[in-house]
Order: sequence, then structure tokens, then C-alpha cells
Amino acid sequence: MTSDSSSRSSSSDEEDEKSTGKKPNTNSIDNSLDAIENQLSSISFNAPIDENTATFADYNHESVSEINDGSLTETVGERRVISIGESSSSRGTGLWTKNMEVEVEMDGSMASPSSSGYAGERGSSGSVSVTSGCGSDGVREVRDNGSTAGDDGVNSLDTDRGQWTSGKRHADEDDTSVSWRKRKKHFFILSHSGKPIYSRYGDEHKLAGFSATLQAIISFVENGGDRVKLVRAGKHQVVFLVKGPIYLVCISCTEEPYESLRGQLELLYGQMILILTRSVDRCFEKNPKFDMTPLLGGTDAVFYLLIHSFSQNPATFLHAYTCLPLAYATRQAAGAILQDVADTGVVFAILMCKDKVVSLVGLQKASLHPDDMLLMANFVMSSESFRTSESFSPICLPRYNPMAFLYAYVHYLDADTYLILLTGSSQAFFHLKECRIRIETVLSKSNVLSEVQRSMSEGGLRIDQLPVDPSARSGSLFHLNQRKPSPETVVGVGGPAGLLHFIYRSIYLDQYVSSEFASPINSRPQQKRLYRAYQRLYASMHDKGVGPHKTQFRRDENYVLLCWVTQDFELYAAFDPLADKAVAIRICNRVCQWVKDVENEIFLLGASPFSW
Amino acid sequence: MPSRRRTLLKVIILGDSGVGKTSLMNQYVNKKFSNQYKATIGADFLTKEVEFEDRLFTLQIWDTAGQERFQSLGVAFYRGADCCVLVYDVNVQKSFDDLNNWREEFLIQASPSDPENFPFIVLGNKVDVDGGNSRVVSEKKARAWCASKGNIPYFETSAKEGINVEEAFQVIAKNALKNGEEEEIYLPDTIDVGSTSQQRASGCDC
Repeated sequence: MTSDSSSRSSSSDEEDEKSTGKKPNTNSIDNSLDAIENQLSSISFNAPIDENTATFADYNHESVSEINDGSLTETVGERRVISIGESSSSRGTGLWTKNMEVEVEMDGSMASPSSSGYAGERGSSGSVSVTSGCGSDGVREVRDNGSTAGDDGVNSLDTDRGQWTSGKRHADEDDTSVSWRKRKKHFFILSHSGKPIYSRYGDEHKLAGFSATLQAIISFVENGGDRVKLVRAGKHQVVFLVKGPIYLVCISCTEEPYESLRGQLELLYGQMILILTRSVDRCFEKNPKFDMTPLLGGTDAVFYLLIHSFSQNPATFLHAYTCLPLAYATRQAAGAILQDVADTGVVFAILMCKDKVVSLVGLQKASLHPDDMLLMANFVMSSESFRTSESFSPICLPRYNPMAFLYAYVHYLDADTYLILLTGSSQAFFHLKECRIRIETVLSKSNVLSEVQRSMSEGGLRIDQLPVDPSARSGSLFHLNQRKPSPETVVGVGGPAGLLHFIYRSIYLDQYVSSEFASPINSRPQQKRLYRAYQRLYASMHDKGVGPHKTQFRRDENYVLLCWVTQDFELYAAFDPLADKAVAIRICNRVCQWVKDVENEIFLLGASPFSW
Repeated sequence: MPSRRRTLLKVIILGDSGVGKTSLMNQYVNKKFSNQYKATIGADFLTKEVEFEDRLFTLQIWDTAGQERFQSLGVAFYRGADCCVLVYDVNVQKSFDDLNNWREEFLIQASPSDPENFPFIVLGNKVDVDGGNSRVVSEKKARAWCASKGNIPYFETSAKEGINVEEAFQVIAKNALKNGEEEEIYLPDTIDVGSTSQQRASGCDC
């Protein structure tokens, strides 16, 4: 394993040995700050009249410490003049003073982006003091959970689980609710006329004023021939994504990187396209006041589950899919029968178990993008009705063809395993039903279904089964599974050498494999924290500005994280924070070898058109 | 989740600086009035839920700044409006004269599909001032102008006394709704031919 910088050492708590490890944005706060501030405030300073505006101001006007796009400076500077002119010409002395205060504040905050001004103002409004002054993500989560235990429903996703198929939660909230403001991660979809389409929390209609404010900001910057991508305000990031007439916004204090949040907005948009296709664009062209909300009626659960998966499913940031581990012959058998029906006009035939692929076959060279698979699986899993009957539903695969619907025949073969047959013909229901009956018959006769269930209950790669030395390699996961882990392989916490978890992503296959969670990463919050750490690692490795990188070794109070990127694969591994670096690197090599040894069983090989 | 379908209406309030746009909105939404003048900067946003003919509406009210220098906000603000409220001060001749500009500016910026029938409503505000003695624009004149522009509904209001405010917004909701309903039959459009997918399949980018 080559490490371009592993010879450097550091004793600091937060150790980042990537050669250009600094976050690229930290130094980009410039003179335009106060100007940006003025710009924002000029849109929404009339707070006292209305709570809506006040809320918006909370998000923005205390300390907008950065707009990520340096090119904004010009427009913004111009705006500043206008704003000052305004205050002097219209008896707005109060405003003028306020602007002055802000400027001073901003100057002060150059040294520490999360200025005390932010915390102070927030504190006085009594809303989000919880989030200020917290250290790492993890620390904050713990504190949040603790401090809000008695506060009806102020929670993170962790406490939401168990309600996978529920619709929107906290629909009674709006932007004046304290609980709404405390939420750590908001997602909004709105139209280019400022009409709300979707909000993760709260009632869309009650948030109409907030939604209008978001539109005003986006459009204002657009008018200046520019685009707003990110606004930082203390601990909060406001991320914008414009997709034609659809605007998507995330407001988050989870410390996830901008790239990750933007990727999540892209998926959210993709999910919407999956349900409606991009034909909605035409509706807006013809009629800008078009109200999309009714078209999305009843789909709250789909978005709910997707947003949930942002912190539970690495596929959302890896852009790869994962397979259910199966003996090679078993997967082949499943593939063969799917191939059979694919030859009869089915565009894609996919057999899945929860979010894992059992087998997948595409017509000729048609290929399925991992993001499309994620969104489709999410759509199927979030809708209770798919579980209880065979369904035929229009589905658009945004990466395949965002303009047109395909038709999906969906049928659950058992509690977790479902078959999706995609076709271009709206008349194909009965044909696909016959196909499904054939497939189901073959799958049960050949014991594929029972194997799938067995694999599901046994789980996949377990770190305590990592072969100790080359001679112990067996080449089959299932052989290993029947063996008890030998006691000497377990050293300290977690697996060998403190290995806690790993994700291996095969670049050619567009697939990844992730080890099962094991002690001490048992709870959802811990798993979420680890995924967030991976996510940051992924973002920094793929940072176009300073990358690409080959290796990264990072030690903080929670983990040692090791990332290794080659032409063929990416490996993300987490170790005990006290793990020895040299040993960790050796373990990573063994993990890679292990994955290669059992790749027949953990990956879908050959059958997928993008494999070679 | 409420099963009842709700409609969201975007309402833009336009008019010269100081005619009482913000006060009208504030009176309507919050039932409050303040004599203190505070210029609106850019725009303000308020929402109000109303029930009308057994249906539920949310009015998304865009209270814009009257000062000319904010008109650069243009298209973004006007886009997708369901109704436009033009306000003038019955005690200020110029604010009445400017209504024509406001109306035309709106039609240019918002470019609604059917400008002839776009729902406007005109409010002559501040009828309470000085017991009506300082009034310079007569109701007759105002109504004549409204009639010449395609029978725009007209109300004489006082944001301070709350006169006609509720009634005016009722008509705003009604007209906005009437205008909106005809154009909402686009859904079938979204269902596209899927049969092309087989040809597309080979050329798809991944």
C-alpha cells in the first residue's frame, strides 16, 4: 500500500495527514461579507411585522460568514450601496445602525467563523442555543438527545426509526415553532415562483412565507447573473440547488460537507423525477404558477425514507449499489431466469432483498445507474401497497431517461424480497405477471429464495472473520460463515488490530460491500456517526479542487479512518482510535485480499453490462 | 395528513411607497395597525389561511417595496402570481396616477398567459384620514379607471380602521382562484411514451 504522506506524524487530536488537508473554504471569507449580509437583510429585514421574516433572519442575518462562490462579490458589492442608500433615504435609522452592528460583528468573526454574535443573538431569541458552541457532530448529538428529551419530538433521525413507512412527521409545525427551528436538517423543494412543494418538517402551506423568502434569495442572485450555492451562518449551512423551475434547499447544522448535502439534494430531486418525470418542467413553462404539490400527494413517505437513508445507507454518497452475499451458483441461477424474461421485452429485471441486489439483468446494453437503483428501491420500500399486492406503476429513472416513464411491475416474493420488472409498454401488465410467475416458480424450485433468506439472516462480511494469515484463506464466505471465529483473531476492541468496520467499493462494478456492524458500533447513532465520517472522507477524497488523493489516514477522538483509492477500488476503513498505523495498513491489505477472494459471492459479476 | 386539497395562491401587492401596502397586509393577517411608517425593504412575506366556499386556501402574500430602486427584483417576484393587488392613497393624486405604470410593469414582468383576464384588484386606501377631507381622488374617478382596464374590482379601504380589508381579500382569493382553475389540467402531459426506451437504451449515458 502506498501512502503519499503517511510518514508525517502528528500528535494532535484531530489529525489529518492528507497533503492538502485543509478545508478549502475556511479562508475564503472576504470583504464582501458585510455586503452579503446587507443583501440578505435587505430582502428580509422588516422582521417586526411578521414572524416568518424573523425566522428567516435568524437563519441568515447574524453571521453569514461565507457564500461559497467567490464570483458573488461583484453583485453583492453593488447591492450594498443600494442598501445603504435605502437606509439613509427612508428614515431607517434603526436599520442603518443594525447594519453597522452587523459589519462590526462580521469583522470580528473573521477569526472564528462561528462568531459569538451568532450564539448571542440566537440565545436571545431563545431558539437554537442548543446547537451553538458544540464540538463535534457526535458530541452535539448526545447533548441534543439529552437536552431535548422532554421536549416533544425534537429529535434526529435516530429516534424516528421504526416508522419507516410513515408519512410526514411534525406536520403541525411551521417556521414560528421553536421545535421546527431546532431541527438539525431541513429539506425544502419549491417552485421558481416561490410556491412550496415539499418540506421535510412542518406544513408546506404554513411555510409559504418561508418558501417565498428562499425563492427571493435565489432569484435575486440569479438576477445578477450569478448563482447562490451555499450560505454559511454559524453552524448552519444553507445549500441551494436549482433545477430549472424547481428549487431545492437544505438547511443543516450537521457539519456534513457541502458536496454531500448537495448530493443529497440531487437525490431528492431525482426521487421527485422518478415519481413525475421532468415533464413537470413543461407545466411550469406554460404556467409559472403551476402548483405541483397535488401531483406529489401521498408521497411523503418516499421522501421520508430517502432522507432517512442519507444517514443510514452508504449508497447515497458512494453512488454504488450493494449485493446480498450469495453462493456464486445461486446468484447465477437467479440471473439465468431473469435473463430469460429480459429477452421477452423487459428492459430491466431486478431481484432485490431490501436494499441489496440479488440479481439484475438489463436488456442488451441497457445499463442501470446505481442512483436510479437506490431511488427505485427507496420508492418501492417506502410504499406499503407494494408489499401487499402486485403492482404496476409508472416510474421514471432519472439517469436513464428523465423525460419518460417506464412501467414497473413490482411484486414481493416474501417479506423482504421483491422483483421489479421494467418495461416501456403500458400494456404489459399481464405479460409481466406471467414472467413473474415463471420467475417465482424457478426461484423457489432452485432454492434461491431460501438461500436469500438465509443470507439475509446470517449477514455479510464480518470483521471478526477476516482471515488471519494467507494460508487460512478459503475463497468462500459461506465456508467461513460456518466456522466459529477463532479467539486469537480478536485483539482488543472490534476486529483484528482494532478494525471496526470497512466499506470496499469496486469502481468497475459500481458496487460496494460493507462489513456488518459489530461491537462497539452497535447503536444507530454510532452507525450514523461512522457513516458521516465516511461521507466526509469520501467528499475530501473526491474534492475536485484539491484532489484526487490516493490515501488518507485520519485520527480523531472517535476513530482512525483510513482511505485508499486505486484505479480498481476504494477502501474506507475505521479502526479503534488507538490503532497503530502500520498495523492498520496491513489489515487494510488483508481486507482487500479477502474481498477479492470472495468477490464471486459478494458482487454481481459479469452479468452487469458496465462491468467490463 | 389532511385529505382535503388545499390551494396556494400567490398574491402580489404593488403601489407607490407609503400608500399603506404593508399596513393593509398587517391588518388583514394580524389584525394590527401601527401609525409608524417603516419602509419595506425588498419584500415581505406573509401567509394567511382562508376558508372560502368550503375550500381551504393559503394566501402567500408578497408585500413589495414601493421605492423604485427595488423594482430590479422584477421577474423573480412577479413570476407565477395568481393575483395582483394595486394600492393607492386616496389622498395622493400621484399614487393614483402611477397605478397604470404598476399594472403595466407587472404584466411585462410576470407575463401571464392571458394578460387581458389576469386578476387585478384595486384598493384606494387611507379613506379614514382627516375624515375624508384631504381626499383628492374621487371614488368615481377610481371606478372609471378600473372599468377601463377590464372591470377591475375596486375597494375603498382603511388599514387603520380595518374598513373593507377582509372583504377585499375575499375577492382577491376568489378571483385568483377563478383564474387558476382553468390551467390545471396538465397532468396527463407528464405521462410520456415509454416505448422509445428500447432505442434509447443503447445510447444512454451512465
